Amino acid sequence: MGDQSRMTLLLILLRWCRGLLAGLLLAAPAWSADILLTAAQDSAGLQAFTQALAHQRPDDQVTFTPLRDLPAPSRLPSSTRLILLDLPGLDWRLQDAQGPPTLVLRISRLQARQRMGNTHPAKISLLWSDPPLERQLRLIASILPQAHRIGVLYSADSEFLLRELMQFAKPMGLEIVPQLWGDTNDSRPLQTLFRNSDVLLGLDDPQLYNPKTVKNLLLSSYAQQLPLVGPNAGFVRAGSLASTYSDQPDWLAVLDRLLDHAPAKWPHTLYPEHFKVVGNPQVARSLGIEQVDEAAVAARLAEGEKRP
Amino acid sequence: MLLCSLPALADDLFLDGQPLPQVLTATRLKQSAAAVPGSMTVIDSELIKASGARDVSELLRLVPGMMVGYTTGNQASVNYHGTSASDARRMQVLIDGRSVYRAGLATVDWSDIPVAMEDIERIEVFRGPNTVSYGANALMAVVNILTRSPTNSHGSRMKVTRGERGINDFYASQGVGWETGDLRLSLSGQQDDGFDSNAVGADRRDGRRLNRFSLAVSQTLNAQQSLDWQLNVKEGTNQRPYTYTPVFDGISEHGSNSDITAKDYAGSLRWNVDFNPDHSLYIQGSAQQWDRRQIWKACDAKVSFSPQLTQLWQLNPNYAERLARNMETYSQGSAPPGSAAEQALANQVLDQWKHQGGKDNVCGDIDQSTRESRYDLELQDTLSLSDSLRLLTGFNYRYDRADSDTYFNGTLDDTTWRLFGQLEWRPSEHWLLQGGAMYEDTHLSGHSLTPRVAVNYLINPRHGLRAVYSEAVRSPDMFENNVNWSYRVTNLSSPTYGQNSGQYFVVTRGPGNLDKELMRSRELGYNGFFADLGLNVDVKLFYDEITDMISSPLRNNQYIASNANSSRFTGAESQLDWRVSNADRLRLTYAYVDASSSNPLDKAQTARNSGSAGWLREWGQGWSSAVFYYGDDALNQYRFQRVDLRVAKRIAVAKTNVELAGMLQQRLDNQPTTWADNNYDHRHVLYFSAELDF
Repeated sequence: MGDQSRMTLLLILLRWCRGLLAGLLLAAPAWSADILLTAAQDSAGLQAFTQALAHQRPDDQVTFTPLRDLPAPSRLPSSTRLILLDLPGLDWRLQDAQGPPTLVLRISRLQARQRMGNTHPAKISLLWSDPPLERQLRLIASILPQAHRIGVLYSADSEFLLRELMQFAKPMGLEIVPQLWGDTNDSRPLQTLFRNSDVLLGLDDPQLYNPKTVKNLLLSSYAQQLPLVGPNAGFVRAGSLASTYSDQPDWLAVLDRLLDHAPAKWPHTLYPEHFKVVGNPQVARSLGIEQVDEAAVAARLAEGEKRP
Repeated sequence: MLLCSLPALADDLFLDGQPLPQVLTATRLKQSAAAVPGSMTVIDSELIKASGARDVSELLRLVPGMMVGYTTGNQASVNYHGTSASDARRMQVLIDGRSVYRAGLATVDWSDIPVAMEDIERIEVFRGPNTVSYGANALMAVVNILTRSPTNSHGSRMKVTRGERGINDFYASQGVGWETGDLRLSLSGQQDDGFDSNAVGADRRDGRRLNRFSLAVSQTLNAQQSLDWQLNVKEGTNQRPYTYTPVFDGISEHGSNSDITAKDYAGSLRWNVDFNPDHSLYIQGSAQQWDRRQIWKACDAKVSFSPQLTQLWQLNPNYAERLARNMETYSQGSAPPGSAAEQALANQVLDQWKHQGGKDNVCGDIDQSTRESRYDLELQDTLSLSDSLRLLTGFNYRYDRADSDTYFNGTLDDTTWRLFGQLEWRPSEHWLLQGGAMYEDTHLSGHSLTPRVAVNYLINPRHGLRAVYSEAVRSPDMFENNVNWSYRVTNLSSPTYGQNSGQYFVVTRGPGNLDKELMRSRELGYNGFFADLGLNVDVKLFYDEITDMISSPLRNNQYIASNANSSRFTGAESQLDWRVSNADRLRLTYAYVDASSSNPLDKAQTARNSGSAGWLREWGQGWSSAVFYYGDDALNQYRFQRVDLRVAKRIAVAKTNVELAGMLQQRLDNQPTTWADNNYDHRHVLYFSAELDF
């Protein structure tokens, strides 16, 4: 038999196998997964996400059940993959050490620490909602190559992020200038920080970055011609220069990959590897900074994150 | 486009965080330095502090082309490029948008501006005419003093400054914030002796003492509206040398000073409304009053108050002056030759001189006090029509009143209406076209329309070339146009012509029909920021002409103002601001100004070469230093060169910061300052300050 005919046979065999496999999957629902999404509050966004996930995973049973209709976590079948979409859901899940493998979305580092300290309960994977610090630093390096002193406001809650931030900054040749902002009614720490920084990096700390502080923060940093990067995409609209973020399609891609794996292989914590960049062109223009080419910068950052 | 993509994200489960207001909106964002439609110098808080300056006028030495001189120690005269030897009447000066040049006399009393240096956040100087944005007095430049916002003034600050030349200043402020607002209250005072000696070596009487009170409040009403209001009061004494010289010979008695008690009051209220991120407006109302109380003792011959001599002056001032200056000579013979009417009056005056005690000495009080008021209302609307098109429009109403027996024989008032509009259009990433016009109608001097157009070419966002053409007008002020200047002497030591008060025979009247001055300015410039180096460079070439210029000096004998003069200023200016490292900052400015004018006095205040150089350094461990050099050749024929050194040590104890600073100013030349009467005994002055904030 020539090589070519041997190859053809192999292909036929493969097709046959795949057909058999598909038939088996359709016939035997045990091979598919039950994916249960839950949150305390239902919303149009939640419904849209559930539908999108169901569409993404046609072979799985994707359902949404409000938190109040669920039994204790330990009474759910262990084959269920649980996806929690808000913090009450996490509180509910944490009441039982036992329970199905769980993916927690829409939780930030800070929120997790406030709830769980440094503990890592078994079978729970935390998928961080706040942009990863290293990625944000790379974004700064990419759009503001001249900036070296990165001013960072922190509160007692977010202080634990500083060490990590400094570790990332060091090899990049960046200096983190930390400044405690304990009382957001007192703007003196801002003035001190602004004097010693080339750019501000916002930590996703709602005690510091919230609708009440946003005006003072952005107006006073702008008065010093100091751009703010981060803390999240919402702030970019308010007047921050740029941020990385992950939206629904990104999270669907992340979930798709995780759900393909056995829960035992799920990481304890994860930053989404899929992300985008958003910039504020008007702020950039006013600060005399080149427009942020969102797609190109995101691609460059993603390229830089590929581990060899 | 961001603005297209973000709303689409609103339904996204992962992006619908807490709703945030859009803060840096299209209406709030300003043009980048490279895209500014003109030349701008910003003196930031770091420079203000490092300079160690005690007065705004001294800070303006950091602005290329700014001519800073002194009439006396407490009267700075600051001009951009030149003109008017004693007054800055061709420059608009604003504090937080409120114009502070005096309503009637149209000068800026730099020393009396009710703002403490410590309350200033930064000073933006727009170098060039810009009546479209700043109103009709913005003929040659605009100095916009911006105070620290109450939001950024939290905590307590105290500062004292003591030094040679009688320097004795203090400052204290308290800032607090609450849920919906912030407030800053500050008290400050200043004192010094001014210059030491006049041209003949006698003591120079030009010290000052002043106190200020200032309250600034900003309040948020709701997400769209906010209020800012301020109250400022200043009181103090400005010494003035006694300069009255009797007209008639043989009078030896005289007063000792003509000091001024100056009180300034100002209040303003601004209402900001953001309809949406693309549309905002503000309405600002302000009221100001300038009180200058100046009474001095004058002694002269009784004949000064002769009704006949007054009549003679009205008939022919030259004849009257000739007679008065040579009374003794003519009284030996007969009246100087003239018309029959003149001679008849002159003979009566001579008779009074010889036989009716006309040559007797009489003393009384001259009251040259003034009270000026201004009420101003402005509405400005900013509309962002698209990402590349922004429209700014507004109107302004102003009421000015001046009250002075000496200058106006009572009260004089004026109303001004102004409409202005400016369009900013960015047809492409590289081109920016900004143009506008202002229409103004003044009750006393008519209406005018002034256009302005600027083209910026942005090589990239940090480097821009610009070409600007602008016209600007300056309305003659009340003094120039409508002066009715005569001295009434009261409390006469002995009855004169049956009265114990008298009207001095010299009366000067303004022409009343003066036209506006017209400025035509052409400018080419470059502004660039080299981000890798931290270097900012601005270069400007200019060709400015003033026609219909009112340039007569303000003197009370035969003051004849007219629009007969003209001036032209051409040259180049540059400024360089270089952050060499995190610890070092270098700053250089230089201006070459070539002035020509029909009235030689108008170019006396122009230094052909002027500039400054500064080096600021942080040495670590709280030590910092700053060295500045300021120089100009021949301002009013006198050279000026000075080096200032400031060394400071900052000590932090818990939440308290203490800063101790020493300041040395060393003159490098031996010349008087601007005028022959302005001399210091020593070429250096030393002063120290201690500041505490917690």
